[in-house]
Amino acid sequence: MSIMQIMEHSVVVRELVKTYGTQKAVKGVSFEIGMAEIFGLIGPNGAGKTTILRVISTLLQITSGSVNVFEYDISRDASDVRKLISYLPEEAGAYKNLTGKGYLEFIASFYSTNTADKIKMVNRGIEIAQLGKRIDDKSSTYSKGMTRRLLVARALMVNPKLAILDEPTSGLDVINSQEIRGLIKEFVENKGTVLLSSHNMLEIELLCDRIALINDGLILEIGTPEELKLKYKARNIEEVFVSVVK
Amino acid sequence: MNDSTSRGSRDFKGGGVSPLPLMNHLYTIIKKEVKELLTKELMMSLVFMAVFFVFMGKMMRSVEKESEKINISILDLDSTQYLQNILSLVGSKEIKVNIIDAKDVKSAIGKAKADSTTVLLVIPNGFNSKLMKMEKVEIEMYSIMKGLSMTETISSAMIKSIVDAINKSIASTFIQRLAPDKKAEDVLTPIVTKDFVVIKDKTLPGTPAMITAITTSQSMIIPLILMMVIMYAGMMIMTSMGQEKETKTLETLLTLPVSRMCIIGGKMVGSAIVAFVMTVIYMIGFKYYMSPMSELPKLAVSMKEFGISMTPLGYLLLGIALFLAILVALSICIVLGVFTQDAKSAQTMTYPLSMIVLIPFMLTMFKDIETLPMGLKILVYAIPFSHPMMASKFLIFHNYLPVIYGMIYMAIFTGFTIWIGAKIFSTDKVLTAKLALTKKITLWKK
Ligand SMILES: Nc1ncnc2c1ncn2[C@@H]1O[C@H](COP(=O)(O)OP(=O)(O)OP(=O)(O)O)[C@@H](O)[C@H]1O
Ligand SMILES: [Mg+2]
Repeated sequence: MSIMQIMEHSVVVRELVKTYGTQKAVKGVSFEIGMAEIFGLIGPNGAGKTTILRVISTLLQITSGSVNVFEYDISRDASDVRKLISYLPEEAGAYKNLTGKGYLEFIASFYSTNTADKIKMVNRGIEIAQLGKRIDDKSSTYSKGMTRRLLVARALMVNPKLAILDEPTSGLDVINSQEIRGLIKEFVENKGTVLLSSHNMLEIELLCDRIALINDGLILEIGTPEELKLKYKARNIEEVFVSVVK
Repeated sequence: MNDSTSRGSRDFKGGGVSPLPLMNHLYTIIKKEVKELLTKELMMSLVFMAVFFVFMGKMMRSVEKESEKINISILDLDSTQYLQNILSLVGSKEIKVNIIDAKDVKSAIGKAKADSTTVLLVIPNGFNSKLMKMEKVEIEMYSIMKGLSMTETISSAMIKSIVDAINKSIASTFIQRLAPDKKAEDVLTPIVTKDFVVIKDKTLPGTPAMITAITTSQSMIIPLILMMVIMYAGMMIMTSMGQEKETKTLETLLTLPVSRMCIIGGKMVGSAIVAFVMTVIYMIGFKYYMSPMSELPKLAVSMKEFGISMTPLGYLLLGIALFLAILVALSICIVLGVFTQDAKSAQTMTYPLSMIVLIPFMLTMFKDIETLPMGLKILVYAIPFSHPMMASKFLIFHNYLPVIYGMIYMAIFTGFTIWIGAKIFSTDKVLTAKLALTKKITLWKK
């Protein structure tokens, strides 16, 4: 507890409420994410994970509460926040008529001020994506896994201070998932912070420093995987999840 | 927040204020829009359409050529002295005359058919003697139809003019015989008209048909081109929005460090470029298709002297008006695009736009706006696209003020719509609007 307070926070969420019309998707959620930490949101379908990630990504307006990303308030300084973050939507695609490389170049032009920077960024993206020669093919010819790798590469190559990844490994096979987990770990070692959501309990346990269990727009538990397993006397997070949600 | 957290990110500030990255961002987005919209499939279908127009134009032309070439056969049962006369009257480059040697009409028809004759003239026995007595005589004409196509009707008009020519020629000789001191021409057509047209405060030589033939080339073609550009631009920007929502690239785009105005501006310019390319390709084909029909009367030169023509200022104003109209369309579509959710629904969303373009297009084409009832007139003036469509009609008569008012209206309209668009883009409506809308529709259906 005391350690958490000493650490600087990259994200602070206070009493966040988000409604779509009359539908209450997030009903008062508070948590904070430390520096260079991997923070995971887990919860059943429709729990409100994507909604929280979209709010922090400056896509959705807050109904009430507050969110700070580093020193910026998300509602007031959205354009400053956008310079620090990189968001990977769930089930996203790339521009169909651009090649993989063309897509990376497109994204890189918004983050770099000169050509040398841009080329460096794109090369890092190509390295992360590991698509080989296929990087020069149109993205419409990629498989689901290939597209996902391109998008993860896009999100991480710009070296954001905070990467917000909505189900980064969904639709990927075991090997690809493992590789992406490796990339995320490496990113954090280089002082990046990650906020992600996932349905894969094993992944959450392997990857996250701390996790929040969400159900029906409310956080039920927050802690390190070890703390939670101890508290619920469970062998793994899946068992924690089941007993918490019940 | 404590102070130390702000240290790391300070260097991110400041960079976005200078105009250079802004232009770079805009350029990057425009380039991406054009690449995404101008697909190989689109180009192929465009070229196909253009080729189709050219092909249609060729067809039309060959039909016209065919109708010009006529084979006439003459069966002379009277061995008339007039035959040579008729031959010289009728024969020309387009008309080939040959004399058939046959005993009766039936066998003559058979022969005529064999050498693809269009018309068979039969000069009856006693033709000459009746003519000498100045009595009415009959010539039998057999039109040989090969099918029921347009060509056949064109040739019957030709036949009528041949008969008229023969009549006139014979009548002239009669007049010459009866009144040698008179000019046959004067007796045949004692009255001729000299035509003037009064438009507004100007009087010009010519018939209304001549004047409209000249002005329609501008007052029809320009609205047509404009309609195409508007529809394509609208379609493109909606498709762009629809695709981006479908693939969630819009979500990514909206979290990038790029201003909303750049995104809107890039989409508008990109769509306009693609729409322009599409229109040019279409027009090349279309021009080829139209060219045999659009030959202007010679009068065009003297129109200038009477102040009925486009001045350089007129062209400039017209250009600005067209540009503004495209901006209006694009700004409307940006707002409509918020409500699309995929590429398919984008197509549906262009219908309202087509409607508001078609109304002024139809009305300016077939009606004079000034003569419409008050309610309709207000409607037409309220639709921004009416103004550029009417513009050339005003500009031809050097009547600039209504065009300038129209331009001011369009500029205000665009500004207002873009403002609404930017407002929507800065909220989360751009991502959630459609869901709310479909919910309403499903509720309403219940
Ligand atoms: N645009 C929207 N308009 C209305 N309701 C929405 C919208 N987006 C999400 N919701 C609702 O908000 C709630 C939370 O959705 P959210 O997408 O955040 O869930 P999630 O935890 O990400 O689920 P999943 O695991 O299936 O991705 C759901 O009930 C959903 O129906
Ligand atoms: Mg989700």
